[in-house]
Amino acid sequence: MPAARHVICFGNALHGDDGFGPYIYQRLQQLDWPDDVRLFDAGVSGLDALGWLDGCREAILVDALANQGNPGTVHVFQPEPVDRLDNDLSGHAAGIPYLLQAAAAVYGTLPDIVVVGAEIDRIIPFAPGLSPAVAQAAEHALSIIRDRVMFQPS
Amino acid sequence: MSRRVVDIDLNRVEGDLQFQLELDGNTVADARCIGTLYRGFEQIMIGRQPKDSLVVTPRICGICGTAHLYSAVLALEQIGAIPVPPNATRIRNLCLMAETVQSDLRQSFLFFTADFCHSRYAKHPLYSQAVEAFQPFQGWAHRGTLEHSRHMVKIVALFGGQWPHSSYMLPGGVTTPPTARRIVDCQALLRPLTRWFENQVIGGDLDRWLALASAEDLFRWLEDEKPAAGAVGLMTLLARSLGLHRQAPGTPHMLSYGVGCDPEHWQPPYTENRHLWRSGFLDGERGEVEGFDHRQIAEHVRYSWFLPYAGGRHPWQGQTVPDYQPHSDRYTWSKAPRYRDQVVQTGPLAELLIDGEPLITALYREEGGSTWLRQFARLRRTGLFLARMRDTLRELAAGLGQAHYLPPPDARLPDGEGYGLVAAARGALGHWVRVADGVISQYQVVTPTAWNASPKDTAGRHGHWEQSLLGIEVQNPDDPLEIGHIIRSHDPCLVCTVHVLGKDRRLSLRP
Repeated sequence: MPAARHVICFGNALHGDDGFGPYIYQRLQQLDWPDDVRLFDAGVSGLDALGWLDGCREAILVDALANQGNPGTVHVFQPEPVDRLDNDLSGHAAGIPYLLQAAAAVYGTLPDIVVVGAEIDRIIPFAPGLSPAVAQAAEHALSIIRDRVMFQPS
Repeated sequence: MSRRVVDIDLNRVEGDLQFQLELDGNTVADARCIGTLYRGFEQIMIGRQPKDSLVVTPRICGICGTAHLYSAVLALEQIGAIPVPPNATRIRNLCLMAETVQSDLRQSFLFFTADFCHSRYAKHPLYSQAVEAFQPFQGWAHRGTLEHSRHMVKIVALFGGQWPHSSYMLPGGVTTPPTARRIVDCQALLRPLTRWFENQVIGGDLDRWLALASAEDLFRWLEDEKPAAGAVGLMTLLARSLGLHRQAPGTPHMLSYGVGCDPEHWQPPYTENRHLWRSGFLDGERGEVEGFDHRQIAEHVRYSWFLPYAGGRHPWQGQTVPDYQPHSDRYTWSKAPRYRDQVVQTGPLAELLIDGEPLITALYREEGGSTWLRQFARLRRTGLFLARMRDTLRELAAGLGQAHYLPPPDARLPDGEGYGLVAAARGALGHWVRVADGVISQYQVVTPTAWNASPKDTAGRHGHWEQSLLGIEVQNPDDPLEIGHIIRSHDPCLVCTVHVLGKDRRLSLRP
């Protein structure tokens, strides 16, 4: 079992609240971390993010979540087992479910995966900057990530 | 009969391309290929230092950034008449081939062949074989492609420090020499992929497969058990049994800027055809290949959301001013490039035909263009590139001490005009640049997808992809599988914006 833990932040900083992941990455970078923790700014990469799920025992995926009516709410959850995800036969689906399925197919097993996400208010194309609700959520998410990494070293 | 409109989103790995088809009964009566994203790179470049193009333009694409970098540096070298040492050209070619091989394998076995697992084909005699090979995440070809393709661009990283969006080519060469260690590392990446390609994809020795020179050779090769069960064999047998070798040729006119600069002969003034695979225009009506002349290119905007101008313009006179007109008959952010006023197609089929590759030429003469031949030509190119990469590494190993960079005599680029033309994974890619008063005053990028996915032009003629769909019969308009085969055989190039994440339900995140 590899020792490393990866924090992988997804999103596009140019599009309003979609910049949640990149913002978290910037903030995490300013902190001190144990040697086994590595931070990645995944941007909008799809399959190219495969390598970041390799060689770690735990991966924390940070991303914006669709607005379900409570913008600014932080959710922490484990993704469904990959074989239960919508199985788009064509393989033309995109995003993290696709990435996780690909990683499972390539590596055989996946690291422990936790998603830390915030429900967004809205995405404004080419308008950098988070909405007040999501900016506040980012502080909450940062402390969740930090606590998780610092106090659950297992 | 009533007409209905069917929208098909092509948000596969990335996003931003849409097809709108009008069906007359079950027949495609009209097709509109819609680029839904305005990019704006042409504006971003204006007023910048010329060498900024080496950093900015590779960001145009997350799949083919090496091709953009190569185009950008060639344009600058032409402006400055800057010589390039042969090893630099070899490294550039090697990296571009690595990027293309990754793209071609993914397009073939992650996207194109997945459609053969559709439940509509459940009674097909090869269905169980198709599912075993091509089922996403479970089929052996799908999984093998996921595994092997991801290592290929490490070759780019060895010379460029990263992939994608690397900036290791500069006027006069490349930043990194071909040390023995790097060559060995590249070989260690290339060999397992080549072995997998031989064992699983073509089902036999690469050089023997490349020696096939006629349709008869190919079909005899497919009579053997192992090649027939390989991924290319299976794709071929399935596609041909469904008639995909008799449909959707699109335009008969083809364009190639040439593939790979010839290391030993690539020298200023860079206006002659000195490529490993020759450039040219295949006149589909006369069946003859003619020399390529970039001055014959003109871009139209009659059906695009750009500030209107009359007729077509050469990229040096090009104008890219966004002018969104949603309630007009304009329908895309893509321009309509034409060559000698003809609708053309570009990509592996065009490259191989124009260079006269024997097998593809023979198949084309017998059957014409088709969904299957486009796909087969792409994988043929993969085999040819794997062999060429092997040879390129040998050449580099034989000349390790030679220069990888010649400092340009004058550090400052003179004012002037230049163009850089390469064969990207999807075909002919060009950057046209003008430098005035030391800064970029004009930058026009014409991508392969602009050629292939172009909208109608001033004369109302459909682009290549649109043409290939006209008249196609669709069995079930709610599930237009036939269209999927055709569109995916064109290898749609899309840029990143779509991205989905699941919790206890599936969430859609991006616009």
